[in-house]
Amino acid sequence: MIRLVTLDAYDPKVIDRLCKVLYTAFGVGCEHAGDMSLPSGQSEPFDAQELLKALPSPRAYADDKILYLTSRKLKPRAVISGDVPCSGFANQNGPRALVTSAGVKDPEAGLKQIARHAMHQLGHTWELHHCLDPRCAMYPPWTLNYDGGDTFFDTFCRDKSEQRIRLAKS
Amino acid sequence: MAETAPPPLTLAVGDRVVYPNQGVCKVTSVESKEVAGQTLTFVTMKREEDGAVVMVPEAKVRSIGLRKVAGRADVEKVFTFLRSDSDKANLDWKQRARTNVERMSQGGLMGLAEVVKGLQVLSELRPLPTKERELYDNARHLLVAELAASLHIAEVDAEDAVDVVLFPPGRERPKRTAEEFRSGTGDEDGMELGEDMLELGGEMEIGAEGEAEPEEAQAEAVEAQPPARAKAGAKGKAEKKPPVERKAAAEKKAAKSAPKAEKKPAAKPEKKAAAKPEKKAAAKPPAKKAAAKSAKRK
Repeated sequence: MIRLVTLDAYDPKVIDRLCKVLYTAFGVGCEHAGDMSLPSGQSEPFDAQELLKALPSPRAYADDKILYLTSRKLKPRAVISGDVPCSGFANQNGPRALVTSAGVKDPEAGLKQIARHAMHQLGHTWELHHCLDPRCAMYPPWTLNYDGGDTFFDTFCRDKSEQRIRLAKS
Repeated sequence: MAETAPPPLTLAVGDRVVYPNQGVCKVTSVESKEVAGQTLTFVTMKREEDGAVVMVPEAKVRSIGLRKVAGRADVEKVFTFLRSDSDKANLDWKQRARTNVERMSQGGLMGLAEVVKGLQVLSELRPLPTKERELYDNARHLLVAELAASLHIAEVDAEDAVDVVLFPPGRERPKRTAEEFRSGTGDEDGMELGEDMLELGGEMEIGAEGEAEPEEAQAEAVEAQPPARAKAGAKGKAEKKPPVERKAAAEKKAAKSAPKAEKKPAAKPEKKAAAKPEKKAAAKPPAKKAAAKSAKRK
């Protein structure tokens, strides 16, 4: 089950549609688990890793994945080979993921873009690595034309995510 | 040249090692056990990823390719390699598979990086077949895990560090042609074999864009061929015709004079393909007659 937690105000229609897209992509249920406020002591642009650590978890089962959605900006992440533009964050095989809609002016019109980033971060929580297919949501999200892509997993990523989900359920 | 034997690997409890094709493990014990009347020393390791336990006789530690986690200097070398323009992928699928298996088991951290980079560059020419896509994912997983263990960072950071180099932000994904690769390897026959095998295997991940790539590459390859080879390619297509058609084609050929045939342009295959259904229709009556004759005989 994917539990979507909003950290800012969103139109319920947008949340509904996002849940539907995620349900279609992963084949597991997705529901809005409520709103939460951003933790104090951090300012915009947020450090995604720190923000995810500081956020409290809603009530969930062990194999549930929690997706936090915010409209605030996230700081580029510094890694040893350079800075990575950040649209979200999730640890490999972790239970929680964070995604931002900061680059989208109208969330209803830009739902596809938000959903693609959400799929990417949730994919990491099911141990998916970055993909080679530019059409796939697991393609590195900082590349050109990523935001214009479809909410789609290529065959390999879809099979792998299904396998991981099956394993988690059993 | 005589090879010098590598120094023995001494392992102690708590050491982090890399088991080829398995990933980063932690040594949990080194103990002696009696097996079939012999006393052997076993190294027990626990895979960090999932906690799977492996026991290896100490004498076999080197031969299976077990090694300590790469150091900072090795990591630097890997990033220098990933940044470099060494973007010539081997187009001979057999050679490529053999080299990649060797790299995965014996190549160390650099071997993993070579597999990842090689397949990533190849994917810019055409989509990878399923087996190679799996290999790419495995190599990437092992590379990321070892980098994370070596630098004491999270796997997600290690993966992004690799991908920022392989897929630089704000840069278009380059589109490569078979010619680019061929100039590096100079192995045209290997290239053809690889493409044939890909077609036979039918394991390509085909999508709206993905379909176009291999076709384009093939079209380029045909254009680049000298006319004689292109003809041979067309002949190959003609050979696939059913036997009745082949007969008809042979009769036609015999009727035509040799110099005329030479004057034919190389770009005939399309026309032939278009004419196929007509020929089939023409070839049907004799076949029917033959069938009727055989029925009468019976």
